[in-house]
Amino acid sequence: MSQTVVRPPQIRRALGKKRAGGLAILFAFMLFFYGPLLYMFILAFANSYNFPAIMPNEFGFMWWDYVFKQPNTLVSITNSFLFAVCSTALSFVICIPAAYALARFQFTGRKLVMFLFLLGNAFPKIGMYTSMGIIFYKVGLMGTFMGVLLIHMLGTMMQMIWLPAGAFRSVPRHLEEAARDAGAGPLRTFFKVTLPVAWPGIAVALLYAFIGSLGESVGTLFVGLPQWRTMMTEMYGVILDFPATAGAVFALLLIIPNFVLLLLMRKYIGAETMAKGFKMS
Amino acid sequence: MTTSTPQTDREEKRKAWQKRALLLLFLGPALILSLSIIVYPIINTVIRSFTDPATGGFSLMHYEYLFTNRIAVADIWYTLWITVITVALSVFIAYLLALYLRFSGSRIAKFIGTMYLLPRFIPGLVAVYAMKVVISDSGLINRLTLLLPEASALYNLKPGLLFNPRGIILMNLWFNIPFATMIIVAALSGISDSIIESARDVGAGRARIFLQMIVPLSIRDVMIAMTFIFMSNISSFTTPYLIGENFPQMLGVFLRKQFSNRAYERAAAISVLIFLFSSVSAIVYIYTNLKEKEWEKG
Repeated sequence: MSQTVVRPPQIRRALGKKRAGGLAILFAFMLFFYGPLLYMFILAFANSYNFPAIMPNEFGFMWWDYVFKQPNTLVSITNSFLFAVCSTALSFVICIPAAYALARFQFTGRKLVMFLFLLGNAFPKIGMYTSMGIIFYKVGLMGTFMGVLLIHMLGTMMQMIWLPAGAFRSVPRHLEEAARDAGAGPLRTFFKVTLPVAWPGIAVALLYAFIGSLGESVGTLFVGLPQWRTMMTEMYGVILDFPATAGAVFALLLIIPNFVLLLLMRKYIGAETMAKGFKMS
Repeated sequence: MTTSTPQTDREEKRKAWQKRALLLLFLGPALILSLSIIVYPIINTVIRSFTDPATGGFSLMHYEYLFTNRIAVADIWYTLWITVITVALSVFIAYLLALYLRFSGSRIAKFIGTMYLLPRFIPGLVAVYAMKVVISDSGLINRLTLLLPEASALYNLKPGLLFNPRGIILMNLWFNIPFATMIIVAALSGISDSIIESARDVGAGRARIFLQMIVPLSIRDVMIAMTFIFMSNISSFTTPYLIGENFPQMLGVFLRKQFSNRAYERAAAISVLIFLFSSVSAIVYIYTNLKEKEWEKG
């Protein structure tokens, strides 16, 4: 279709109205969902941002210096990644075999097992964290590395069971059978055939688990503080106490890992499937 | 088929045992983990909520407190009220947005269709902070209105959105509209163009097509979106903790206060209340997942 097609005036007017409506929706949408984020990014690079200036009076990295000189910043970044790596790795080791069993074996009590796993996602996390915290207090896990790790694993575990189970189920059985017929043992078949075919799904699960753990805030606040601080729990204090510009720097620090990971993983998944699988609440 | 001799019997039994051992090996660790961090804590919480901390005996005192104490009752109503408004507003706006995304083939719609997924990857704390910079009384909105002529009604406008329910609801919309839109768009995509065209061919008007076709075909997913938004907002913590007021408070903030005061039985009772409020969405979630997994299996 070429642009030079002559249209009757009514149609042209109707199309114009439609486009204006679309532009209005786009404007409102971008303003509400992206405006605040964009403005915050700008503030992160302000040296001075005095009332009533709309744009920073002076740009620079002064508040990055300030944030990184705070004694808790580096500790909390290290802790965030420590918990994310440990909880993702541990739930990988624990949950991948379970995911495989759920995908490939029929057995009595299968529904019950699935029910027990689903329960962790079915109720609000804050109630689950309180429930775990009450027990942690009794057994002395409050404020310990192990306690916080278990909190993070509540989230990572769910990611490492359902997505990989789906991935294993979608591996065609005849591929595995062909490998077995060619004389490969069960372990070799799993590592050479099943795992590589299921890998994209598992990679997505790893990504979500990792991002989920980095983003965990409430549970760590309940169980970890003051001994174990992560970037997320620091952010509560930053929002309430820091100057606006320093808060913006810290907020930007919290987003960077998510976007780096998403970019790295783009080859496995489109944006849509990515967002759909991402856990709600 | 081999005939049943004692030897093949023994062989089969050995295979069955092998399978059972393998299953136990595969499922065991994950089951132990889920029993210890999910199932046991939930059961323990329910029991603790009925326990008198002084005597260790059965008691309804914590529920009595929740339903008679002035502060607790105010907090419960406040939470329900904010949550219901959040659910209604976000589903309403999301439905309009989803209709636009589904039925307008324009490039703008496609662009929004990719952009609305991104906010789901922004940590909640960051979003709250970004919004706070804009809507606080000395934030961006206020600074922009200072550019207006002094005589203007909007000059030096203070939005007054922080530390009251309006700010919480605004923030909730930011979090929930993308999620609701995603679910509703998926439902609307299931309605094929050809069905709509054939309805139009037999003379159905826009309103009729909408009310008698599109609404009935998407209402189930709208309800699902509503239950999940209800669940995540009845238990929300971060938003009300950061931009909410001191009294009344939402249940999540109230729960945190009781928990850090080590009033564990009372915290347990609030948790049970939150579990009850979210039981509908929990049942929907478990039921659909168990069913779908069963269906996929074939």
